[in-house]
Amino acid sequence: MVYYLIICRSLTYAQRTEAVLARAGISARTMRAPKAIDSEGCSHGVRVSERNLAAALMILSQAGLSPRRVFIMAPNGAYREVLL
Amino acid sequence: MITYLDSAATTLQKPPAVRRAVISAMERMASPGRGGHRPAMLASETTFACRQAAADYFHVSNPENVVFALNATHGLNMAIKSVIKPGETVLVSGYEHNAVTRPLTALGCHIKVARSPLFESQTILAEFERLMTEEVRCVICTHVSNVFGFVLPVKEIARLCHKRGIPFILDASQSAGVLPVHMDELNCAFICMPGHKGLYGPQGTGILLCGDGQQTHTLLEGGTGSLSAKQEMPDFLPDRMEAGTHNVPGIAGLLEGIRFVAGQKEGSILCHEQALTAQAVSGLSAIPGIQVFSARRPEDQAGVLSFQVADMDCEEVGAMLGERNIAVRAGLHCAPYAHESAGTIREGTVRVSFSHFNTSADVKRLVRAMSEIHI
Repeated sequence: MVYYLIICRSLTYAQRTEAVLARAGISARTMRAPKAIDSEGCSHGVRVSERNLAAALMILSQAGLSPRRVFIMAPNGAYREVLL
Repeated sequence: MITYLDSAATTLQKPPAVRRAVISAMERMASPGRGGHRPAMLASETTFACRQAAADYFHVSNPENVVFALNATHGLNMAIKSVIKPGETVLVSGYEHNAVTRPLTALGCHIKVARSPLFESQTILAEFERLMTEEVRCVICTHVSNVFGFVLPVKEIARLCHKRGIPFILDASQSAGVLPVHMDELNCAFICMPGHKGLYGPQGTGILLCGDGQQTHTLLEGGTGSLSAKQEMPDFLPDRMEAGTHNVPGIAGLLEGIRFVAGQKEGSILCHEQALTAQAVSGLSAIPGIQVFSARRPEDQAGVLSFQVADMDCEEVGAMLGERNIAVRAGLHCAPYAHESAGTIREGTVRVSFSHFNTSADVKRLVRAMSEIHI
């Protein structure tokens, strides 16, 4: 399944992000960022479905939460950065 | 059965959910942020739930500003060493604990002390105002004296600090979970508190609440589960101040403790403890030879009181109560400043302190025992 991964600066930031999205009715899940896209070593991200990305980014912006980077996971398992 | 009257040190009786949460965490949870597997994620979820619960309860806008500590002393050390440089001038109340004054002494600070007689909140406020001069780099004040239960006028002191642009550190060791402690009202640089007293968490837990944008200085450096390729500590909270594996069972218990106090009717724990304090004051004062230190206005004293017995060493009284299965604390209570202010530094006092779980029958047992001890 294709999904987006919103990379956050810390686990707690990712958890805040997940909580804000959950309150807005958007299903999201905190997970460790794959090593391949994690240049600084060990970070966390929040996974949202393809159809929810636009709404999620809007809600996060309203809550003052800015993602560090956003990636899309393609069906072949590769990650590609989405330029915001 | 023990009559436990030493909650100013640690609350012994905890809500049953606290014990269950500690055991469950030990059985099911690993290190938060250190893996994507279920035990690590469960630990991460619990840790965040506790941060969020603390942020909500203490009116902190951002759960990232909730830092876990080992105890209030640890939190105070982090706060003090974030704000104050060696040799600077700091203004404190005359009721501080060694957890405040020893770090300041170790830093070689010039310590100015705002003193007042016991339970004179207007006098101490005036002293703070008088001593809050230009060279003061930081003000540190306890919310409630751990020896006498004196409730200090911290809202007004915080307001003075804010007006003069001086960072304010609040020691909420005796007030967290009992009195309102609201970061958004007090605008503190830091608020420090134990998890194991009025929040009913296990020992080995504490919380440091950080003001928005507050600079922090690390006490410990190490792994944080974030930015692992870098050798410097992260510059963001809470990771910056939380090196090493968390006390997850403790935090799980603390979460249930915070839920417990947050679930009580506002002010009810304070009301209950003040009623027990009044009962103890009345019962002990009626015994000849006992001097009880109590406030004239009930709002000036929380659920902690001290007393002295004529011609008896306070430690001897404490030991005799201990023999009768009544747990109190005698001596200087790690707070020589408070005893100096009250004029009890030479003899010390016997301290009685209450929690939500004490009853009127506990106070009656104490008074009866003291009548037997001091005939």
